[in-house]
Amino acid sequence: MESQAMIKDKPTFQGLTNNVSLYISKSHASSRINKTGSWRFARPVYENKTAPCSASCPAGNYIPKVVMHLSKENIHGAFRALIQENPFPATCGRVCFHTCESACNRGSQDQAVAFRCLERYIGDMAITENFPLDAKSLAAGNAGNIKVAILGAGPAGLSAAFFLTRLGFSCEIFESTDKAGGVMQWGIPSHRLPKSVLDHEIQRIVNMGIKIHYNHSLDAEFMTTAHHSFGAMFISPGLSVPLTMGIEGESHIHQGLQLLMDIQTKDMPLKQGRVAVIGGGNTAIDVARSLKRLGADPVIVYRRRKQDMPAFAQEIVDTEKEGIEIIELKSPVAVQKIDKGFILNLVSMAPVTEKGNDGRTRVMPVDNTPETMIFSEIYSGIGATLHDSWKADADAPESAIKLDHVDFHLKDIPFLYGGDCVNDVQSVTHAIASGKEAAIALSAYVDSGIDSVKKTVDICRLGAGKALSMEIYLQGERRLNSDHVVTDTEINLDYFTSTPRIEPGHIPLKTSVTSFKEVEKTFTREAAMAEALRCYQCGFCNECENCRIFCPEISITRQNGKKMIDLDYCKGCGVCSVECPRNAITMEEEK
Amino acid sequence: MKHVIEGSHAISEAVKLARVDVVSGYPITPQTHIIEAISEYCANGEMKAKFIPVESEHSAMAAVVGAASTGVRTFTATSSHGLALMHEMLHWAAGARLPIVLGEVNRALGPGWNIWMDQSDSLAQRDTGWIQLYCENGQEAMDTTLFAFRLAELVNLPVMVVIDAFFVSHTFEPVAIPEQEHVDDFLPPYEPRIALDPDNPFALFQMAPPNVYMEMRQSIHRAMEHTLDIYHEVENEFDAVFHRRYGMIEEINCENADIILVTTGSATSTARQVQMDMEKQGERFGILKIKTFRPFPGKAICNALQKAKKVAVLDRNFSFGSGGIFAQEVKGALQVLSQGPVVFNYIAGLGGRDITPDIISEVYLKTRDRDLPPCGSEWLGTSPRDEN
Amino acid sequence: MQTLNISDVDFAEPGNMSCPGCGASIAMNLALKALGQDTILVIPACCWAIIAGPYPMSSLKVPILHTAFPSAAVTASGVRAGLDMKGDTKTTVVAWAGDGGSFDIGIQSLSGAAERNDDIIFVCYDNEAYMNTGVQRSSSTPYGSRTTTTPGQGWKKTRKKNMIEIMAAHGVSYAATANIAYPEDLIRKFKKARELKGGTRFIHVYATCTTGWGAPSEYAVKIARLATRCNLFPLYEVEDGITYTLNEKGDTPVDAYLNLQGRFKHLSLEDKAGIQNQVDKDFAVLKNKLSVC
Repeated sequence: MESQAMIKDKPTFQGLTNNVSLYISKSHASSRINKTGSWRFARPVYENKTAPCSASCPAGNYIPKVVMHLSKENIHGAFRALIQENPFPATCGRVCFHTCESACNRGSQDQAVAFRCLERYIGDMAITENFPLDAKSLAAGNAGNIKVAILGAGPAGLSAAFFLTRLGFSCEIFESTDKAGGVMQWGIPSHRLPKSVLDHEIQRIVNMGIKIHYNHSLDAEFMTTAHHSFGAMFISPGLSVPLTMGIEGESHIHQGLQLLMDIQTKDMPLKQGRVAVIGGGNTAIDVARSLKRLGADPVIVYRRRKQDMPAFAQEIVDTEKEGIEIIELKSPVAVQKIDKGFILNLVSMAPVTEKGNDGRTRVMPVDNTPETMIFSEIYSGIGATLHDSWKADADAPESAIKLDHVDFHLKDIPFLYGGDCVNDVQSVTHAIASGKEAAIALSAYVDSGIDSVKKTVDICRLGAGKALSMEIYLQGERRLNSDHVVTDTEINLDYFTSTPRIEPGHIPLKTSVTSFKEVEKTFTREAAMAEALRCYQCGFCNECENCRIFCPEISITRQNGKKMIDLDYCKGCGVCSVECPRNAITMEEEK
Repeated sequence: MKHVIEGSHAISEAVKLARVDVVSGYPITPQTHIIEAISEYCANGEMKAKFIPVESEHSAMAAVVGAASTGVRTFTATSSHGLALMHEMLHWAAGARLPIVLGEVNRALGPGWNIWMDQSDSLAQRDTGWIQLYCENGQEAMDTTLFAFRLAELVNLPVMVVIDAFFVSHTFEPVAIPEQEHVDDFLPPYEPRIALDPDNPFALFQMAPPNVYMEMRQSIHRAMEHTLDIYHEVENEFDAVFHRRYGMIEEINCENADIILVTTGSATSTARQVQMDMEKQGERFGILKIKTFRPFPGKAICNALQKAKKVAVLDRNFSFGSGGIFAQEVKGALQVLSQGPVVFNYIAGLGGRDITPDIISEVYLKTRDRDLPPCGSEWLGTSPRDEN
Repeated sequence: MQTLNISDVDFAEPGNMSCPGCGASIAMNLALKALGQDTILVIPACCWAIIAGPYPMSSLKVPILHTAFPSAAVTASGVRAGLDMKGDTKTTVVAWAGDGGSFDIGIQSLSGAAERNDDIIFVCYDNEAYMNTGVQRSSSTPYGSRTTTTPGQGWKKTRKKNMIEIMAAHGVSYAATANIAYPEDLIRKFKKARELKGGTRFIHVYATCTTGWGAPSEYAVKIARLATRCNLFPLYEVEDGITYTLNEKGDTPVDAYLNLQGRFKHLSLEDKAGIQNQVDKDFAVLKNKLSVC
């Protein structure tokens, strides 16, 4: 449109121009001259905190970080974060009893995040796609190639080798059998842990340059001579001697552990008839479910109530689903052999109010008149104990430093005991905790002497609990995290709509009870991402940028990929802290 | 060439010739004809402008404030209650130093409703920072409107072109409508010193704290003083093109007068006739017409009046509790004289009442025949009425 | 949770004069991300008249024209007319007014601009009272609120004016509600409004004022989110005054919203139940409009 303002070619008078005083209210500066930071009473500080899952994980998995990477479809990143703390993701992703999920804050909104299955998904991806171990980011330091002898190639020994090697120790493992893996190898049936998965994860550790001596006798002679050749010993012999019940006719009872081992090593004949499995722990469950797969009709007999069973809850549920009966509150008192099998004499038990020394429910016989049941076979699944040859040795002298998962005896060289012989809970994950704690303790000892051991272990704690972090020991960013364990009320639930937990499901029951095929399926990629998105990532900044987006003061910016709070302008309103969905920003009072 | 047109349309024609870009308008008697004509020019393409038919006079001024802030030439028109409603934005326009031209048709304010001539509306806007130019007839309205754009854009102040309701606005008179090229010669395209521009962002008319507000107001004052300084030169430019000029004031026989009548607007025309008649009768009668009320040309007025014995100020307005507004201003201007003339103040013609030759004569005779004015102002032509 | 994807290009600057936790500041920051550099803002008397900076500062990187309280819309109309005469078609003219400058003193000029269908975006950032002057009630103040002019037992007994329906009734091409707690939705709406050139577009943005509402500053966004979750401030769009689109469905009882704010703390359980009842009815009316289309 032609306008007056656009016509500029007409002659005009030259005499008069607009040179009048014109002082008006027109800006000529940015509001940046106004340092509103001086108004502030409290300042926001980026402070990653400890997620309850991590704090409860004996292996100290950095779960929020793992899930963050996974949710951004960075599976390599997720694997790197996992392997930093745990050498057995695919194994733990199957057999771990997942305290992380019991501790999960999401449980109070709807259901816990299925982290165990996510861990398995990542672990399996690492196996099928052969992810490399990023030695550079994992390794740290050189402990002068001090040689460490590791006794027992179970989860504790392998973990110790994994962590010690990263810290610059030179490890040799001495194993009495012909296979590494310990209880993972012969104690956990294939329907829970396929051996190919385990073998891959063991091989990944061995490939770090660890020598394993198989079929090596770990006798007294070895113990007395080994310390001449090594700078330290890590001793994790495991529990190999089945417990006995001390009842009449006990010789008629088969050892469940032996059955499990036989299944791994021999062709087993099919079984039939009703078979009793005595016990309430994971061994009893594994034995019963294995017997089912061998064709028998197993029944679990347990002296306490079902809810008192030390076996993992999900395992109990799955066991019953497979049609295995659990008889509770019956205690065996005698076994008699008859023509067609065995008579098991049982007395009825009832719980009493006071608890036992171990904190578990106590039961007492209701009356002493036993009832009888007839079985074709009877198995014991009540657990195992340390072999006598280790007992005297492992008994801690007064000088020993008792850590949570390791006993540290300083003899002429350090002797560190770990794994089942030390842990109050016998699990793969606790064994990993032993391996990690031993590595940290030994490294601290080598660097700074015996007095630094406890102190160093304390520094590596997650949320001041028993879980330790190798990343913290290695001075990684995780050391900056606060010990505060995030609670469910500290999560901004506005960002998390209730969505049901996703689980990968099981193979059909018909297939599972007739074979040793793995029962549980793994996540699809989509399901894994969806489940990862359910995770609050408690206390862990996952770069969601809510703080930047909602900052009324444009005071949160990204510089060189890092978020910065410009305290020249931040008024301390606290919106960033509240709108952080996961409590990764703390308001600190100005002094 | 001269055309017989009404005073309102003289303004409308001038707005068209000034190539105004944005016009806003809201109807109010007796102003409506101005914007009617302009909207017609816009509709038929005679004028390439945006016409914004706003929903109130407040908005009429706000619209041109917005438009002028982008650096284009703007116009609106109003009257009476409309101007009163605009009051806030009059301050805004002046404080913003926007060269907006406003056609203002003097009209009384209610209640009771009164649509006729009265200067109270524009004079009540005395302190808003607007230049106020009062016109006597259609030709002057035309010329003053063109002049107003040039002046406004030279001093960054808004200008009110004031005409009398009906006596000028609705009266058809022969008016010389200049050629467009002559207007373009006189009125160059507007070159704003400040205009909104996303490529060069700044905030305009923002909060001004005490440490700067006073200086900003002083800047308006300086611009008003500057207006007095350059007014004559702008008239020279106008005269050079159109061969007419009006002056901030016009002196009619003031040199030889004992009594000078001070008038504004169309009443001046009536007074001219009476003055001629009186002069023939040997009376030493002069007239001072004030055209420029803001800035008030006090010095020029003082010079014009200082030789007279008596001054009679005819006010078509009233400041209740005080007196006629022009009288107050004239008295103020004469303060500098140690022995200045005596000032008589007469109030006449409020709310559309005629100021007849008889009233002018009465003013003259009453002034001549008394040595001193009565206390306060004297209301002429009023009669006692029944009260409720 | 899904993360928000919001540009980090800002047209606002730090150092502004807003109270800590200012919802109106958040609203502006987000809106300008959508509007971009080619924007002229017209701001009447309101909090933003101060937030934008007293002389000589500006807290925004786009031009601002400050205008008088009643005149946001028409001043914007004037700016638009001026730009049109200059041949500038790329610049978007946005009037940015508080609830007083939209619902009350500004409604005449807003209605005028909307009826003329002037080519502007009018934004009401709604903090539900005259906050800049110290929390006096406006016609946007909701039922139940205490303000300095509805104090004590004189708390506001009348309802909030339904501004978007008033604007939709003008038949404008686009009228929408938006909320600082829903940044992606807000930005989408501002982009849409920017693209619908040629007529008046109206966006009603919910902008918490924790100072005036008696709430901790850190709850600015939380409260705003609850307003929508409780259906007190439903997010929806109306095109040409006819086609309604609902963007969010709330399912939270109003107590969650009311209990966070001091301005409602005097309300009895019956009062709150009454508010819930009204909210449910209003939402039902809105849903009916959806089904009509």
